[in-house]
Amino acid sequence: MSEKISLRVLDTGLRRAAENMALNRTLLECHQAGDSPHTLRFLRFEPCALVGFHQNVEQELRVDHCRTEGIDIQRRITGGGAIYFDPGQIGWELYLDRRFLGTADMGEIARRICEAAADGIRRLGVDARYRPRNDIEVDGRKISGTGGAFDGNSIMYQGTLLIDFDVERMLRVLRIPAEKLSDKAIASARERVTNLRELLGEPPPLARVQSALAEAFAEAFQVDLVPEDDLNPREQTHFAQALVEIDSEDWVYQRHRPAGGMPLLEAVHRCPGGLMRAGVMLDEARDIIRQVWITGDFFMNPRRMLVDLEASLKETPVAELETNIHRFFDAYRVEMLMLSREDFLQVLRKALDSRDPASTRAGTHAAG
Amino acid sequence: MGAVKGCDLPEELLYSIDNNVWVRREDDGNITVGMTAYACSLAGQVVSYTPKKAGKDVKKDKSCATVESGKWVGPAKTPISGEVVATNDAVSASPGLINQDPYGQGWLVKIKPADWDADAVDLKTGADALAAFQAKMDADGFKGCA
Repeated sequence: MSEKISLRVLDTGLRRAAENMALNRTLLECHQAGDSPHTLRFLRFEPCALVGFHQNVEQELRVDHCRTEGIDIQRRITGGGAIYFDPGQIGWELYLDRRFLGTADMGEIARRICEAAADGIRRLGVDARYRPRNDIEVDGRKISGTGGAFDGNSIMYQGTLLIDFDVERMLRVLRIPAEKLSDKAIASARERVTNLRELLGEPPPLARVQSALAEAFAEAFQVDLVPEDDLNPREQTHFAQALVEIDSEDWVYQRHRPAGGMPLLEAVHRCPGGLMRAGVMLDEARDIIRQVWITGDFFMNPRRMLVDLEASLKETPVAELETNIHRFFDAYRVEMLMLSREDFLQVLRKALDSRDPASTRAGTHAAG
Repeated sequence: MGAVKGCDLPEELLYSIDNNVWVRREDDGNITVGMTAYACSLAGQVVSYTPKKAGKDVKKDKSCATVESGKWVGPAKTPISGEVVATNDAVSASPGLINQDPYGQGWLVKIKPADWDADAVDLKTGADALAAFQAKMDADGFKGCA
Protein backbone atom coordinates (compact mmCIF):
# COMPACT_ATOMS: atom_id res chain seq x y z
CA MET A 1 0.00 0.00 0.00
CA SER A 2 1.27 3.44 -0.86
CA GLU A 3 1.12 6.48 1.39
CA LYS A 4 -2.26 7.13 2.97
CA ILE A 5 -4.57 9.81 1.63
CA SER A 6 -5.34 12.70 3.98
CA LEU A 7 -8.79 13.68 5.19
CA ARG A 8 -9.02 17.23 6.51
CA VAL A 9 -11.24 17.58 9.59
CA LEU A 10 -13.11 20.84 10.13
CA ASP A 11 -15.43 21.79 12.96
CA THR A 12 -17.36 24.88 11.92
CA GLY A 13 -19.27 25.11 15.20
CA LEU A 14 -22.78 26.36 15.90
CA ARG A 15 -24.09 28.45 13.00
CA ARG A 16 -27.17 29.79 11.32
CA ALA A 17 -28.67 27.50 8.68
CA ALA A 18 -27.81 29.93 5.86
CA GLU A 19 -24.14 29.78 6.78
CA ASN A 20 -24.13 26.01 6.94
CA MET A 21 -25.86 25.73 3.55
CA ALA A 22 -23.43 28.25 2.04
CA LEU A 23 -20.55 26.18 3.44
CA ASN A 24 -22.03 23.09 1.75
CA ARG A 25 -21.98 24.80 -1.58
CA THR A 26 -18.55 26.35 -0.99
CA LEU A 27 -16.83 23.14 -0.03
CA LEU A 28 -18.45 21.09 -2.80
CA GLU A 29 -17.66 23.62 -5.52
CA CYS A 30 -14.14 24.22 -4.23
CA HIS A 31 -13.55 20.46 -4.11
CA GLN A 32 -14.74 20.18 -7.70
CA ALA A 33 -12.42 23.05 -8.69
CA GLY A 34 -9.48 21.41 -6.95
CA ASP A 35 -9.31 24.13 -4.29
CA SER A 36 -10.41 21.94 -1.36
CA PRO A 37 -8.93 18.69 -0.08
CA HIS A 38 -11.04 15.67 0.87
CA THR A 39 -12.80 16.90 3.99
CA LEU A 40 -14.84 15.74 6.98
CA ARG A 41 -16.82 18.62 8.45
CA PHE A 42 -18.75 18.69 11.73
CA LEU A 43 -21.48 21.29 11.99
CA ARG A 44 -24.24 22.38 14.31
CA PHE A 45 -27.31 24.52 13.78
CA GLU A 46 -29.27 27.23 15.51
CA PRO A 47 -32.91 26.02 15.45
CA CYS A 48 -33.98 25.69 11.82
CA ALA A 49 -36.15 23.78 9.38
CA LEU A 50 -34.41 22.58 6.22
CA VAL A 51 -36.25 21.49 3.11
CA GLY A 52 -34.69 19.18 0.54
CA PHE A 53 -33.37 20.78 -2.64
CA HIS A 54 -36.42 19.92 -4.72
CA GLN A 55 -39.10 20.71 -2.15
CA ASN A 56 -41.48 23.63 -1.81
CA VAL A 57 -41.23 25.38 1.55
CA GLU A 58 -44.96 26.04 1.96
CA GLN A 59 -45.79 22.46 1.16
CA GLU A 60 -43.39 21.00 3.71
CA LEU A 61 -43.24 23.42 6.64
CA ARG A 62 -45.55 25.30 8.98
CA VAL A 63 -44.04 28.62 7.99
CA ASP A 64 -46.05 30.72 10.48
CA HIS A 65 -45.03 28.50 13.35
CA CYS A 66 -41.37 28.74 12.33
CA ARG A 67 -41.55 32.56 12.19
CA THR A 68 -43.26 32.81 15.58
CA GLU A 69 -40.72 30.53 17.18
CA GLY A 70 -37.69 32.13 15.52
CA ILE A 71 -36.87 28.97 13.62
CA ASP A 72 -34.85 29.72 10.47
CA ILE A 73 -36.05 28.25 7.19
CA GLN A 74 -33.49 27.14 4.65
CA ARG A 75 -33.07 24.95 1.57
CA ARG A 76 -30.44 22.23 1.42
CA ILE A 77 -28.37 21.48 -1.65
CA THR A 78 -28.98 17.79 -0.96
CA GLY A 79 -32.03 15.66 -1.64
CA GLY A 80 -34.62 14.06 0.58
CA GLY A 81 -37.28 15.48 2.86
CA ALA A 82 -37.70 18.36 5.29
CA ILE A 83 -35.99 18.09 8.67
CA TYR A 84 -35.87 20.03 11.89
CA PHE A 85 -32.41 20.81 13.24
CA ASP A 86 -31.36 22.37 16.54
CA PRO A 87 -28.30 22.34 18.82
CA GLY A 88 -29.36 18.91 20.11
CA GLN A 89 -28.08 17.38 16.89
CA ILE A 90 -24.73 17.25 15.24
CA GLY A 91 -24.16 17.17 11.50
CA TRP A 92 -21.33 15.34 9.79
CA GLU A 93 -20.44 15.56 6.13
CA LEU A 94 -17.82 14.26 3.77
CA TYR A 95 -16.41 15.90 0.64
CA LEU A 96 -14.77 13.31 -1.58
CA ASP A 97 -14.69 12.27 -5.20
CA ARG A 98 -16.73 9.53 -6.78
CA ARG A 99 -13.88 7.08 -7.09
CA PHE A 100 -12.57 7.64 -3.56
CA LEU A 101 -14.50 4.60 -2.36
CA GLY A 102 -13.67 2.49 -5.39
CA THR A 103 -17.10 2.78 -6.97
CA ALA A 104 -19.09 5.38 -8.90
CA ASP A 105 -22.46 3.82 -8.01
CA MET A 106 -24.24 6.46 -5.94
CA GLY A 107 -26.27 3.98 -3.90
CA GLU A 108 -23.11 2.03 -3.09
CA ILE A 109 -21.24 5.21 -2.09
CA ALA A 110 -24.10 6.11 0.27
CA ARG A 111 -24.06 2.61 1.76
CA ARG A 112 -20.31 2.63 2.44
CA ILE A 113 -20.40 6.06 4.05
CA CYS A 114 -23.44 5.17 6.17
CA GLU A 115 -21.85 1.91 7.32
CA ALA A 116 -18.76 3.81 8.44
CA ALA A 117 -20.91 6.40 10.23
CA ALA A 118 -22.86 3.60 11.95
CA ASP A 119 -19.56 2.12 13.12
CA GLY A 120 -18.66 5.53 14.58
CA ILE A 121 -21.97 5.74 16.43
CA ARG A 122 -21.50 2.20 17.78
CA ARG A 123 -18.25 3.38 19.40
CA LEU A 124 -20.44 5.53 21.65
CA GLY A 125 -22.09 2.43 23.05
CA VAL A 126 -25.26 1.98 20.98
CA ASP A 127 -25.96 -0.70 18.40
CA ALA A 128 -26.24 1.56 15.33
CA ARG A 129 -26.73 -0.04 11.91
CA TYR A 130 -27.14 1.20 8.37
CA ARG A 131 -30.68 0.79 7.08
CA PRO A 132 -31.18 1.07 3.32
CA ARG A 133 -31.51 3.36 1.69
CA ASN A 134 -30.39 6.38 3.68
CA ASP A 135 -30.87 5.86 7.41
CA ILE A 136 -28.85 4.76 10.40
CA GLU A 137 -30.92 3.17 13.12
CA VAL A 138 -30.73 1.51 16.52
CA ASP A 139 -33.09 -1.45 16.97
CA GLY A 140 -35.35 -0.26 14.20
CA ARG A 141 -35.42 3.37 15.41
CA LYS A 142 -33.84 6.07 13.29
CA ILE A 143 -30.98 8.02 14.85
CA SER A 144 -29.38 9.52 11.75
CA GLY A 145 -30.75 10.58 8.35
CA THR A 146 -28.48 11.24 5.40
CA GLY A 147 -28.38 12.70 1.89
CA GLY A 148 -25.93 13.81 -0.77
CA ALA A 149 -25.05 16.18 -3.55
CA PHE A 150 -22.61 15.89 -6.41
CA ASP A 151 -20.97 18.15 -8.94
CA GLY A 152 -19.03 16.39 -11.65
CA ASN A 153 -16.78 13.91 -9.89
CA SER A 154 -16.97 15.62 -6.50
CA ILE A 155 -19.49 14.39 -3.96
CA MET A 156 -20.75 15.69 -0.65
CA TYR A 157 -22.56 13.30 1.67
CA GLN A 158 -24.05 14.47 4.95
CA GLY A 159 -25.91 13.10 7.90
CA THR A 160 -27.50 14.17 11.14
CA LEU A 161 -26.96 12.47 14.45
CA LEU A 162 -29.64 12.93 17.09
CA ILE A 163 -27.96 13.53 20.42
CA ASP A 164 -30.95 14.97 22.28
CA PHE A 165 -34.12 15.34 20.27
CA ASP A 166 -37.67 16.51 20.85
CA VAL A 167 -39.97 14.73 18.40
CA GLU A 168 -42.94 16.92 19.38
CA ARG A 169 -41.01 20.03 18.40
CA MET A 170 -40.18 18.48 15.04
CA LEU A 171 -43.80 17.53 14.39
CA ARG A 172 -44.90 21.12 15.02
CA VAL A 173 -42.44 22.41 12.41
CA LEU A 174 -43.06 19.89 9.64
CA ARG A 175 -46.27 19.83 7.68
CA ILE A 176 -46.72 16.12 8.24
CA PRO A 177 -50.38 15.34 7.89
CA ALA A 178 -50.29 14.10 11.46
CA GLU A 179 -53.81 15.28 12.13
CA LYS A 180 -54.98 12.85 9.51
CA LEU A 181 -53.19 9.94 11.10
CA SER A 182 -54.69 7.89 13.84
CA ASP A 183 -53.21 8.38 17.32
CA LYS A 184 -51.77 4.93 17.06
CA ALA A 185 -49.94 5.84 13.88
CA ILE A 186 -48.56 9.04 15.42
CA ALA A 187 -47.37 7.12 18.44
CA SER A 188 -45.70 4.60 16.20
CA ALA A 189 -44.07 7.44 14.22
CA ARG A 190 -42.60 8.64 17.52
CA GLU A 191 -41.41 5.18 18.35
CA ARG A 192 -39.49 5.17 15.10
CA VAL A 193 -36.99 7.82 16.16
CA THR A 194 -34.44 7.72 18.96
CA ASN A 195 -31.45 9.72 20.20
CA LEU A 196 -28.24 9.20 22.17
CA ARG A 197 -29.50 10.76 25.39
CA GLU A 198 -32.46 8.40 25.45
CA LEU A 199 -30.30 5.38 24.72
CA LEU A 200 -27.35 6.20 26.99
CA GLY A 201 -29.11 8.02 29.85
CA GLU A 202 -27.16 11.20 29.18
CA PRO A 203 -25.85 12.90 26.06
CA PRO A 204 -22.18 12.14 25.35
CA PRO A 205 -19.83 15.15 25.05
CA LEU A 206 -19.66 16.58 21.54
CA ALA A 207 -15.92 16.08 21.36
CA ARG A 208 -16.39 12.37 22.00
CA VAL A 209 -19.06 12.09 19.32
CA GLN A 210 -16.80 13.82 16.82
CA SER A 211 -13.75 11.72 17.54
CA ALA A 212 -15.76 8.49 17.38
CA LEU A 213 -17.13 9.39 13.95
CA ALA A 214 -13.80 10.72 12.65
CA GLU A 215 -11.92 7.61 13.73
CA ALA A 216 -14.51 5.33 12.15
CA PHE A 217 -14.29 7.18 8.83
CA ALA A 218 -10.48 7.14 8.97
CA GLU A 219 -10.45 3.38 9.50
CA ALA A 220 -13.08 2.59 6.91
CA PHE A 221 -11.46 4.70 4.20
CA GLN A 222 -7.82 4.11 5.22
CA VAL A 223 -7.02 7.80 5.52
CA ASP A 224 -5.04 10.01 7.91
CA LEU A 225 -7.03 12.67 9.74
CA VAL A 226 -5.66 16.20 9.47
CA PRO A 227 -7.51 18.63 11.78
CA GLU A 228 -7.62 22.24 10.54
CA ASP A 229 -8.98 25.30 12.33
CA ASP A 230 -10.49 27.16 9.42
CA LEU A 231 -11.28 27.32 5.73
CA ASN A 232 -8.42 28.08 3.35
CA PRO A 233 -8.34 31.57 1.74
CA ARG A 234 -9.98 30.46 -1.53
CA GLU A 235 -12.79 28.79 0.37
CA GLN A 236 -13.32 31.91 2.46
CA THR A 237 -13.73 34.07 -0.64
CA HIS A 238 -16.12 31.52 -2.16
CA PHE A 239 -18.08 31.30 1.09
CA ALA A 240 -18.70 35.05 1.21
CA GLN A 241 -20.20 34.89 -2.30
CA ALA A 242 -22.23 31.76 -1.65
CA LEU A 243 -23.71 33.24 1.52
CA VAL A 244 -25.08 36.26 -0.35
CA GLU A 245 -26.95 33.98 -2.72
CA ILE A 246 -28.16 31.44 -0.17
CA ASP A 247 -29.09 33.82 2.66
CA SER A 248 -31.97 35.15 0.55
CA GLU A 249 -35.67 34.60 -0.02
CA ASP A 250 -34.92 33.88 -3.70
CA TRP A 251 -32.94 30.80 -2.76
CA VAL A 252 -35.14 29.58 0.09
CA TYR A 253 -38.52 30.08 -1.59
CA GLN A 254 -37.63 29.07 -5.13
CA ARG A 255 -40.16 26.69 -6.56
CA HIS A 256 -38.70 23.65 -8.15
CA ARG A 257 -41.95 22.12 -9.14
CA PRO A 258 -45.62 22.86 -9.06
CA ALA A 259 -47.13 22.27 -5.65
CA GLY A 260 -49.44 19.36 -6.23
CA GLY A 261 -51.53 17.66 -3.61
CA MET A 262 -49.95 15.46 -0.98
CA PRO A 263 -52.85 13.31 0.14
CA LEU A 264 -52.51 10.75 2.87
CA LEU A 265 -54.26 7.65 1.56
CA GLU A 266 -55.26 4.90 3.92
CA ALA A 267 -56.41 1.35 3.50
CA VAL A 268 -57.18 -1.75 5.50
CA HIS A 269 -56.50 -5.21 4.16
CA ARG A 270 -57.75 -8.38 5.79
CA CYS A 271 -55.51 -11.32 5.08
CA PRO A 272 -55.26 -14.84 6.56
CA GLY A 273 -52.41 -13.69 8.82
CA GLY A 274 -54.33 -10.77 10.35
CA LEU A 275 -55.46 -7.23 9.75
CA MET A 276 -53.10 -4.88 7.94
CA ARG A 277 -53.40 -1.09 7.88
CA ALA A 278 -51.42 1.18 5.62
CA GLY A 279 -51.03 4.91 5.13
CA VAL A 280 -49.43 6.24 1.96
CA MET A 281 -48.30 9.84 1.54
CA LEU A 282 -48.51 10.46 -2.19
CA ASP A 283 -46.73 13.28 -4.00
CA GLU A 284 -49.21 13.81 -6.81
CA ALA A 285 -47.10 16.26 -8.82
CA ARG A 286 -44.42 13.63 -9.42
CA ASP A 287 -46.54 10.51 -8.93
CA ILE A 288 -44.16 9.36 -6.23
CA ILE A 289 -44.86 7.64 -2.92
CA ARG A 290 -43.19 9.84 -0.33
CA GLN A 291 -43.65 7.59 2.64
CA VAL A 292 -45.70 4.63 3.82
CA TRP A 293 -46.74 3.43 7.25
CA ILE A 294 -47.82 -0.13 7.86
CA THR A 295 -49.25 -1.53 11.07
CA GLY A 296 -51.13 -4.67 11.96
CA ASP A 297 -51.63 -7.62 14.28
CA PHE A 298 -50.01 -10.22 12.05
CA PHE A 299 -46.94 -12.24 13.03
CA MET A 300 -43.48 -11.83 11.62
CA ASN A 301 -39.93 -12.29 12.78
CA PRO A 302 -38.10 -10.00 12.97
CA ARG A 303 -40.88 -7.53 13.75
CA ARG A 304 -38.67 -4.69 12.56
CA MET A 305 -39.14 -5.90 9.02
CA LEU A 306 -42.03 -3.42 8.85
CA VAL A 307 -39.89 -0.34 9.48
CA ASP A 308 -37.19 -1.64 7.16
CA LEU A 309 -39.81 -2.08 4.45
CA GLU A 310 -41.11 1.44 5.09
CA ALA A 311 -37.59 2.84 4.84
CA SER A 312 -36.92 1.01 1.59
CA LEU A 313 -40.12 2.34 0.00
CA LYS A 314 -39.43 6.04 0.63
CA GLU A 315 -39.56 8.07 -2.58
CA THR A 316 -40.79 5.20 -4.70
CA PRO A 317 -42.36 6.11 -8.06
CA VAL A 318 -45.88 4.64 -8.15
CA ALA A 319 -44.95 2.75 -11.31
CA GLU A 320 -42.05 1.09 -9.45
CA LEU A 321 -43.94 0.04 -6.31
CA GLU A 322 -44.23 -3.61 -7.26
CA THR A 323 -40.59 -3.83 -8.39
CA ASN A 324 -39.36 -2.23 -5.17
CA ILE A 325 -41.45 -4.52 -2.98
CA HIS A 326 -40.10 -7.57 -4.76
CA ARG A 327 -36.55 -6.24 -4.54
CA PHE A 328 -36.97 -5.74 -0.79
CA PHE A 329 -38.39 -9.20 -0.09
CA ASP A 330 -35.92 -10.93 -2.41
CA ALA A 331 -33.10 -9.60 -0.24
CA TYR A 332 -34.72 -9.74 3.22
CA ARG A 333 -34.84 -12.78 5.47
CA VAL A 334 -38.08 -12.78 7.37
CA GLU A 335 -40.39 -15.40 8.78
CA MET A 336 -44.08 -14.59 8.27
CA LEU A 337 -47.14 -16.51 9.42
CA MET A 338 -49.91 -16.78 6.83
CA LEU A 339 -48.66 -13.60 5.27
CA SER A 340 -46.95 -12.92 1.97
CA ARG A 341 -45.35 -10.04 0.13
CA GLU A 342 -48.52 -9.92 -1.96
CA ASP A 343 -50.44 -8.75 1.11
CA PHE A 344 -48.16 -5.73 1.46
CA LEU A 345 -48.49 -4.96 -2.21
CA GLN A 346 -52.26 -5.28 -1.98
CA VAL A 347 -52.74 -2.99 1.00
CA LEU A 348 -50.55 -0.30 -0.59
CA ARG A 349 -52.33 -0.61 -3.95
CA LYS A 350 -55.65 -0.37 -2.17
CA ALA A 351 -54.50 2.84 -0.48
CA LEU A 352 -53.34 4.27 -3.81
CA ASP A 353 -56.62 3.30 -5.45
CA SER A 354 -58.53 5.26 -2.82
CA ARG A 355 -57.27 8.58 -4.15
CA ASP A 356 -59.76 11.09 -5.39
CA PRO A 357 -60.32 10.27 -9.09
CA ALA A 358 -60.74 14.00 -9.87
CA SER A 359 -57.17 14.70 -8.79
CA THR A 360 -55.71 11.80 -10.72
CA ARG A 361 -54.01 12.56 -13.97
CA ALA A 362 -55.39 10.27 -16.62
CA GLY A 363 -53.39 7.35 -17.82
CA THR A 364 -50.21 7.83 -15.81
CA HIS A 365 -50.60 4.98 -13.40
CA ALA A 366 -52.68 2.12 -14.54
CA ALA A 367 -52.67 -0.46 -11.80
CA GLY A 368 -50.52 -3.51 -12.29
CA MET B 1 -27.94 -1.22 -30.79
CA GLY B 2 -24.60 -0.74 -29.06
CA ALA B 3 -24.14 -1.81 -25.47
CA VAL B 4 -21.34 -2.03 -22.91
CA LYS B 5 -21.66 -4.16 -19.77
CA GLY B 6 -25.40 -4.45 -20.35
CA CYS B 7 -25.92 -0.67 -20.73
CA ASP B 8 -27.56 0.38 -23.99
CA LEU B 9 -25.52 2.98 -25.86
CA PRO B 10 -27.12 3.53 -29.29
CA GLU B 11 -24.30 3.92 -31.78
CA GLU B 12 -25.98 6.64 -33.83
CA LEU B 13 -25.96 9.09 -30.91
CA LEU B 14 -23.13 11.42 -29.90
CA TYR B 15 -21.76 11.15 -26.37
CA SER B 16 -19.90 13.24 -23.84
CA ILE B 17 -18.03 10.60 -21.88
CA ASP B 18 -17.04 12.95 -19.02
CA ASN B 19 -20.56 14.28 -18.54
CA ASN B 20 -22.12 10.85 -19.15
CA VAL B 21 -24.80 12.30 -21.44
CA TRP B 22 -25.92 11.74 -25.03
CA VAL B 23 -26.60 14.35 -27.70
CA ARG B 24 -28.66 14.15 -30.89
CA ARG B 25 -28.69 16.89 -33.51
CA GLU B 26 -32.22 17.34 -34.81
CA ASP B 27 -33.28 18.40 -38.33
CA ASP B 28 -33.87 21.98 -37.18
CA GLY B 29 -30.28 22.29 -35.94
CA ASN B 30 -31.25 22.13 -32.27
CA ILE B 31 -29.89 19.38 -30.08
CA THR B 32 -31.47 17.05 -27.56
CA VAL B 33 -29.51 16.11 -24.43
CA GLY B 34 -30.20 13.17 -22.12
CA MET B 35 -28.60 10.92 -19.53
CA THR B 36 -27.03 7.68 -20.73
CA ALA B 37 -28.28 4.32 -19.51
CA TYR B 38 -24.95 4.09 -17.67
CA ALA B 39 -25.54 7.41 -15.87
CA CYS B 40 -29.05 6.20 -14.97
CA SER B 41 -27.66 2.99 -13.55
CA LEU B 42 -25.15 4.85 -11.36
CA ALA B 43 -27.84 7.28 -10.17
CA GLY B 44 -30.67 4.83 -9.46
CA GLN B 45 -34.34 5.81 -9.68
CA VAL B 46 -34.64 9.49 -10.54
CA VAL B 47 -37.36 11.15 -8.41
CA SER B 48 -37.01 14.86 -9.28
CA TYR B 49 -36.04 16.86 -12.34
CA THR B 50 -35.49 20.62 -12.60
CA PRO B 51 -34.34 21.76 -16.04
CA LYS B 52 -32.86 25.17 -16.78
CA LYS B 53 -35.79 27.19 -18.07
CA ALA B 54 -36.47 27.71 -21.78
CA GLY B 55 -34.79 30.92 -22.94
CA LYS B 56 -31.85 30.52 -20.55
CA ASP B 57 -28.30 30.25 -21.80
CA VAL B 58 -26.33 27.21 -20.72
CA LYS B 59 -22.59 26.76 -21.00
CA LYS B 60 -20.60 23.77 -22.16
CA ASP B 61 -19.86 21.40 -19.27
CA LYS B 62 -22.24 23.26 -16.94
CA SER B 63 -25.64 22.24 -15.62
CA CYS B 64 -28.63 21.98 -17.98
CA ALA B 65 -30.85 20.20 -15.44
CA THR B 66 -30.73 19.15 -11.79
CA VAL B 67 -31.81 15.63 -10.94
CA GLU B 68 -32.41 13.81 -7.66
CA SER B 69 -32.15 10.09 -7.02
CA GLY B 70 -31.81 8.18 -3.76
CA LYS B 71 -31.41 11.55 -1.96
CA TRP B 72 -28.49 12.54 -4.20
CA VAL B 73 -28.89 15.88 -5.96
CA GLY B 74 -26.67 17.11 -8.75
CA PRO B 75 -26.43 18.58 -12.21
CA ALA B 76 -26.62 16.86 -15.57
CA LYS B 77 -24.10 18.80 -17.64
CA THR B 78 -24.52 19.77 -21.26
CA PRO B 79 -21.48 19.32 -23.51
CA ILE B 80 -22.82 22.01 -25.88
CA SER B 81 -23.29 25.73 -25.11
CA GLY B 82 -26.46 27.45 -26.24
CA GLU B 83 -29.98 28.48 -25.36
CA VAL B 84 -32.49 26.11 -23.83
CA VAL B 85 -35.44 25.94 -26.25
CA ALA B 86 -37.48 23.18 -24.62
CA THR B 87 -37.77 21.22 -21.40
CA ASN B 88 -39.57 17.93 -20.90
CA ASP B 89 -43.02 18.23 -19.28
CA ALA B 90 -43.54 14.47 -19.33
CA VAL B 91 -40.39 14.01 -17.23
CA SER B 92 -41.46 16.77 -14.82
CA ALA B 93 -44.69 14.85 -14.23
CA SER B 94 -42.94 11.49 -14.06
CA PRO B 95 -39.17 11.73 -13.49
CA GLY B 96 -38.87 7.94 -13.59
CA LEU B 97 -39.15 8.24 -17.39
CA ILE B 98 -35.46 9.14 -17.36
CA ASN B 99 -34.64 5.62 -16.17
CA GLN B 100 -37.32 3.87 -18.19
CA ASP B 101 -36.54 5.46 -21.55
CA PRO B 102 -33.30 7.47 -21.33
CA TYR B 103 -32.88 7.80 -25.10
CA GLY B 104 -36.54 8.47 -25.89
CA GLN B 105 -39.22 10.00 -23.67
CA GLY B 106 -36.69 10.60 -20.88
CA TRP B 107 -34.69 13.37 -22.60
CA LEU B 108 -33.63 16.33 -20.43
CA VAL B 109 -33.50 19.52 -22.53
CA LYS B 110 -33.39 20.76 -26.12
CA ILE B 111 -30.78 23.42 -26.84
CA LYS B 112 -30.15 25.80 -29.73
CA PRO B 113 -26.35 25.49 -30.04
CA ALA B 114 -24.24 28.64 -29.88
CA ASP B 115 -21.32 27.09 -31.75
CA TRP B 116 -22.07 23.50 -32.66
CA ASP B 117 -18.94 22.90 -34.71
CA ALA B 118 -16.61 24.06 -31.94
CA ASP B 119 -18.30 22.15 -29.12
CA ALA B 120 -19.07 18.95 -31.04
CA VAL B 121 -15.41 18.03 -31.54
CA ASP B 122 -15.26 16.66 -28.00
CA LEU B 123 -18.16 14.27 -28.57
CA LYS B 124 -17.69 10.62 -29.45
CA THR B 125 -19.91 8.25 -31.41
CA GLY B 126 -20.11 4.64 -32.63
CA ALA B 127 -17.26 2.30 -31.74
CA ASP B 128 -15.16 5.15 -30.31
CA ALA B 129 -17.90 5.96 -27.82
CA LEU B 130 -18.34 2.33 -26.82
CA ALA B 131 -14.60 1.93 -26.21
CA ALA B 132 -14.49 5.12 -24.16
CA PHE B 133 -17.44 4.01 -22.02
CA GLN B 134 -15.82 0.62 -21.51
CA ALA B 135 -12.71 2.38 -20.16
CA LYS B 136 -14.79 4.69 -17.96
CA MET B 137 -16.78 1.78 -16.53
CA ASP B 138 -13.58 -0.13 -15.77
CA ALA B 139 -12.10 2.90 -14.02
CA ASP B 140 -15.35 3.35 -12.06
CA GLY B 141 -15.32 -0.27 -10.92
CA PHE B 142 -18.76 -0.68 -12.53
CA LYS B 143 -20.25 -4.18 -12.65
CA GLY B 144 -22.97 -3.61 -15.24
CA CYS B 145 -26.45 -2.29 -15.92
CA ALA B 146 -29.10 -4.45 -14.24
